[in-house]
Amino acid sequence: MSVKKFLNDPDDLVVEALEGLVTASAGRLRLHRDPLWLESAAGGTDRRVALVSGGGSGHEPLHSGFVGPGMLDAAVPGAVFASPTALQVVAAVRGVDRGAGVLLVVKNYTGDVLNFRIAAEIAAEEGIEVETVLVDDDLASESDDGPGRRGTAATVVVEKVCGAAAARGLPLAEVAELGRRVVAGARSMAVALEGAVHPGEDVRSFDLAADEVEHGVGIHGERGIDRRPMASAHELVGALTEPLVAALGLADGDRAVVVVNGLGSTHLLELYVVFREVAALLEARGVAVARSLVGPYVTALDMAGASVTLVRADDELLGLWDDAVTTTALTWETR
Amino acid sequence: MTATLDRAFARRWVDAFATDFERERARLTELDRAAGDGDFGANLRSALGKVQQRLAADPQTARAVFAAVSDAFLDTGGTSGPLFGMWFRALSRALPETDPADVTQLAEGVREGTATVQRLGGAEVGDKTMVDAMVPAVAALTDATGTGPQQALTAAAEAAEAGAASTEDLVARRGRASYVGEVARGVLDPGALAVALFFRAGARALDG
Repeated sequence: MSVKKFLNDPDDLVVEALEGLVTASAGRLRLHRDPLWLESAAGGTDRRVALVSGGGSGHEPLHSGFVGPGMLDAAVPGAVFASPTALQVVAAVRGVDRGAGVLLVVKNYTGDVLNFRIAAEIAAEEGIEVETVLVDDDLASESDDGPGRRGTAATVVVEKVCGAAAARGLPLAEVAELGRRVVAGARSMAVALEGAVHPGEDVRSFDLAADEVEHGVGIHGERGIDRRPMASAHELVGALTEPLVAALGLADGDRAVVVVNGLGSTHLLELYVVFREVAALLEARGVAVARSLVGPYVTALDMAGASVTLVRADDELLGLWDDAVTTTALTWETR
Repeated sequence: MTATLDRAFARRWVDAFATDFERERARLTELDRAAGDGDFGANLRSALGKVQQRLAADPQTARAVFAAVSDAFLDTGGTSGPLFGMWFRALSRALPETDPADVTQLAEGVREGTATVQRLGGAEVGDKTMVDAMVPAVAALTDATGTGPQQALTAAAEAAEAGAASTEDLVARRGRASYVGEVARGVLDPGALAVALFFRAGARALDG
C-alpha cells in the first residue's frame, strides 16, 4: 500500500499540478508544453532583463510559485527531484528574452548545473545574452572536494532581489552581480523530523525513530550529516543557527534577512516557534533581523522539519527586497 | 552499396544504433546499477524514442539527421543524455549543409563533440566515463582521414571498443560511478560501451 496522496497517475503529477496552478492564477500564468515551462503572462514588452529559474519538482512553491512581476519571468520544472532538460531551459530563455538578456538562477546540483549550462551555451550561440547565478547556501554539504554546497532556501532571496533589480531596469551584469552577492552572504541548515515519501511510493526516504532527528538534511530526501537525539525547539534551532552565524561571521551591528522554511509538512505554528528561537539567538549576538520570511517556501515533498537561512543584508539588498512583488507564493506592495 | 556519408546512411546508422542499444539495454542497465544509479538504460531508451519522433519529420541531410538526434538527447533527463546531446550537436554542425559529408568532416565533428563533453563533464581519459571510448575514436578517425568512410568507421569502432574495454579495470573519478569508488572496479562503463555500440553501428550501416 502506498502512502495516501492526492494523486491520479503519478506520471501526470507534475503537469496536473501546473495545470491547477495556472487555472488558479486566473490568467496571470501561462503553461507551455513540449517542452514544458511556465511563464508569467504579465511579462510585458519593455526591454529589461528576464529571470529564469527551475529545477526538480517537489519543492513547491519553488520555483513555479515565484513566477510573476518582480520575481521570475519563467520557471522550468523537471520531474520530481530531477533536473529539467536543457531543451526546456532553452525554450524558456528564448521565450522570455526581451533583448536585454536572461539571468538563470540555478541551484547547485550536478544535473541542474549541467542542463542549465548547456542551455546557456546554446542560447548564447543564438545571440541571447545569458548570465548564471549559482546558489550554494547549504552549509551541511560543505566539503573540500566534490560538487560543493547544495542550493536550498536562499534561492528565494536570490530570485526576489534579482527580480526586483531586473524590474528596475538594471543591466544583466549588475542583476547577476547582486545575485552573487546574496549567494556569497547566505548560508542555510535544515533538520528533518521525518523523511519524505515520493508520490506513489510507500516508504519514507529515511526512517527515524521517535526520539531521533536527521541533522543537516538537503531537500531531496537524502540523508543528512548525522542522526541526533530529539530535543527541544530551543536546542534544535540553536544547532541549525549557530553554525550559520559562525560561517557568515555575523557580529554585533550586522543585519540579516532570515528565512525560516518548512520542509513540507511542518505546521506554521511550529515554524513561528522556530523563528522565535532564531530571532532570540541573533538578538543575543547583536545581529538585527532586517527582514524575514516564515513558511513553506522550499519544500522536500512532505518531509517534516525546517531549515534556517541567514543572508547578510545591506541597504541596497533590503531596498530591492522591499520592492513590489506579485507571485502566487510571495506578494507585497512596495514597502 | 557505395560508402557515402549522406542522409540515407545517417538514418541507417541511427537505426542500427537504436537496434543494437535495445539488444544490449539490459546489460547496460545492469552495469549502471553496479556502479551508478541504474537509470542509464532507461534514459537512453527514452532519448532514442524521442529520436524516432523527431526523425518522422524526415530531415533531408546527414547534418539534419544528427541535429534531430542531438535535440532528442538534449530533451532527456539525467547527465549522460545531455552530454550525448552536445556530442551529436557538434557532429551535426561539422557536417556540410548539403550531402555528402567526408571522413575529415566526420572526424572533425567527433573531435569537437568529444572536446565539448570533456569541457562540460570535466572528464579525462581514465576517469571511467564515455570519454574513454570517445577519445580513441577521435584518434582513429583522424588517422583514417586519407581513407574511405568504411575503413574510417571500422577503425573508430575498434578503437572505441578497446577504450570501452579499458574501463573495466578503472576506478571512476567522474560521473555517477565516482560515488562508489572501488565497488565499480571490474565493471565496464555503460557510457563508454554505448559510444562503442554507436561506432560499430556506423560501420555496419555502411555495409548496407
